[in-house]
Amino acid sequence: MSQPDTDEMTANRTENQGVATTAGETVEETRPEWTSYDADGDTKLAVDDLDVHYGDDHALKSVTMDIPEKSVTALIGPSGCGKSTYLRCLNRMNDRIRVADIDGTVKLDGEDIYQDGVDLVELRKRVGMVFQNPNPFPKSIRDNVSYGPRKHGDIDTGLLARLTGRAEPEREEQLVKRSLKRAALWDEVSDRLDDNALGLSGGQQQRLCISRCLAVDPEVILMDEPASALDPIATSKIEDLIEDLAEDYTVVVVTHSMQQAARVSDQTAVFLTGGELVEYDDTEKIFENPESQRVEDYISGKFG
Amino acid sequence: MSRATKTALVRGDSSMYEAAAAGAVGLSGVVFAVGLLALLDITAIETLVAGVELSVAFGALLLLIGISVVGFGVTSRIEYVETGAQPSAGFVAAAAFTGIWFAVGMILSGVVAPGIGVQIAAGAVFGGIGFGATAFPREDIGSTVPAGALAVLCGVVLTSGIVGPDWEQVLTGYNATLFGDTVVPGIVMFASLVTGWSAAKAYGGFGARGRNVGAYVLIYLVVLSILAVLLGLIAFVTVKGLPGLFNGFSLGGENLFSWPFLTNGAGLLADIGGVFPALMGTVWLVIGAVLFAVPTGVGAAIFLSEYAEQGRFTGLVEVATNGLWSTPSIVFGLFGAAFLIPRFGNEKSLLAGMLTLGFMLLPLVLITSREALLAVPDEYRDASAALGVSKWQTIRSVVLPAAIPGVTTGVILGVGRIAGETAPILLTMGGGVLPAKSAAPNVLGGFQFTTSPPFVSNPALLEATSALPYQLYALITAGLSGNIQNPQEYAWGLALTLLLVVLLFYAIGITTRYYFRQKLHQ
Repeated sequence: MSQPDTDEMTANRTENQGVATTAGETVEETRPEWTSYDADGDTKLAVDDLDVHYGDDHALKSVTMDIPEKSVTALIGPSGCGKSTYLRCLNRMNDRIRVADIDGTVKLDGEDIYQDGVDLVELRKRVGMVFQNPNPFPKSIRDNVSYGPRKHGDIDTGLLARLTGRAEPEREEQLVKRSLKRAALWDEVSDRLDDNALGLSGGQQQRLCISRCLAVDPEVILMDEPASALDPIATSKIEDLIEDLAEDYTVVVVTHSMQQAARVSDQTAVFLTGGELVEYDDTEKIFENPESQRVEDYISGKFG
Repeated sequence: MSRATKTALVRGDSSMYEAAAAGAVGLSGVVFAVGLLALLDITAIETLVAGVELSVAFGALLLLIGISVVGFGVTSRIEYVETGAQPSAGFVAAAAFTGIWFAVGMILSGVVAPGIGVQIAAGAVFGGIGFGATAFPREDIGSTVPAGALAVLCGVVLTSGIVGPDWEQVLTGYNATLFGDTVVPGIVMFASLVTGWSAAKAYGGFGARGRNVGAYVLIYLVVLSILAVLLGLIAFVTVKGLPGLFNGFSLGGENLFSWPFLTNGAGLLADIGGVFPALMGTVWLVIGAVLFAVPTGVGAAIFLSEYAEQGRFTGLVEVATNGLWSTPSIVFGLFGAAFLIPRFGNEKSLLAGMLTLGFMLLPLVLITSREALLAVPDEYRDASAALGVSKWQTIRSVVLPAAIPGVTTGVILGVGRIAGETAPILLTMGGGVLPAKSAAPNVLGGFQFTTSPPFVSNPALLEATSALPYQLYALITAGLSGNIQNPQEYAWGLALTLLLVVLLFYAIGITTRYYFRQKLHQ
């Protein structure tokens, strides 16, 4: 950014602590100390210098942030700021997009998940994900919940297992019940477990997706705007659930709703346009007294 | 002020005008339907209706409808009734009536003074009038007068007996003659289609609503004729085939029932000739082709849509499979004859036929399976991957079940085509024209275990075998009758059996598809 160093510009820069862009506007420079938040508790996910390119598009710019265990971390920011991209890096879902080019390290319990020889199946068992749009399989409610454990050989309900007496219907029953209860869905569906999951309402489908994820017993749950397609009542149920889940799981949630982030999260990371992590701190600090002017503008609705 | 026509928001009770227009629509529909029956030879145009021949009655009805249609237009134009007529009937209507009246001019002048120059000139004049009458006046006149005039003209031609049951016209330049029993229904159906449309527009009060009703009636009449052709075809074959199919059929007696046509061969020992060997041949052919084509086709589709990178290679495969699907069946037959037969003991065999038809079926199974797999939402794949389920398990437990209805549709379509295929099996499978019962392929019982490689053999697969379409073709071209008492009846029974076999395969396929759809969305 080599701009002619006029007096005007200098004045501007001092005032806003920023640099001038080519368009003549000033953009505040991100300071490393705004993102070097050290949360209480053990670090579950340590992200260091993460860069993501989609072809020529630089979607995420050297993000460094530690996510503490058994807490809710909210990622907020305007559309296209890279928060979903960041989230999808944490269980390597971006690998499924062929043009994505990822640099940097993400350590899960100290082990880099981007090194060679990482078993993606095992990684995604430990780091589960819930998507923006509820996406239950076109199967029964029971089959949706037991899908993961069955595929992992945790429970076996196949014909061969039944013939050889290895099937454990009670174990499956218990697992389904436990997972549905944990996702606060059991009371609503306990009498129709064999109905197709597509017959549930949107909010119920999303909670079914959460319980499907819980059935695999992950350590981290990533949620990509889990309530953005739902009505307010369903949303509040999901929010209660997120807070509740943080007792046992590490939850990372992307959201567009600042109220939601303020309500459910322990710490909040703000991404702003250009794939930059601008500020990362305690949720209270972010919403009451952010360091960055841009974050304050964004939160108060002046920007983005 | 806007020039768009405004009509009342709420239309009142149906007026006389509407009732009359509805009557004209209904009458046009009835005339169209009866014309269709006459075209399919179900009713004869010589039949007396109220003392006159049907063709004359048709003419009278067309006159009536034509005059009333013109009446609807005029009543609306002089604003005796309020309609939403727009300034013009529109380009499509103008083009259509130009074409229709051009043809009328050509035909009329051809009757009066034949000669290509005169005819084109007359066509141009009539076409011009048709265009002018449609395009220039307001919509209510433009879409009724040319239609009504056409109906009146047709009515005059029919009532006057100029064209009637005895009419015939040798087509110069063609080795053919047109007869009244084809031309009269043709004229009647066309004219009633046009008046039906026109009267429906009047019923809807012209304007947007009128056009809507007009299009509705037009589409329904066309669908009716397509259905009638289909039903007519099936009814024709059924009526002709039933005596042969049920020749000697009896319930009770020694066995539970006896159905010689389906259980006998056509050998010298059979009292009543039957099609058992060819029937079994067709059934085994289809089973063999499906067993070959479905696993390979679905497997290739899985590779192309799930594993291969979408790009030039998959594009090339797509073009190749589409090309293969449009390849004429005789080419497949020739390939089978030149490539497969030398490899299976140099004789035409059931196995060669199965594989040849399998090759034919393969591209369609591949194309439809690929479409079905691509239609499975990526959300399912993402959800499954996020649960830590491997790609193959995802494909097997989520993607394939969601794609099965689509795959089944492809197999149904393909089986319908190959079951009736004659050319490939003519070249690869052969078999007798009138096979005895002993010639029926005994595939299930034919497996033999041997001590030397290949350890399992099945002579039934390697024998020349007959199949229904092949036998029908051979019977008709060779004109053989053997000891069949009534070859004509036998051949029609055979055709009906083939039709039923294909429909049975369809029914199986549709039931399968329905079952899997139910499973996906209870």
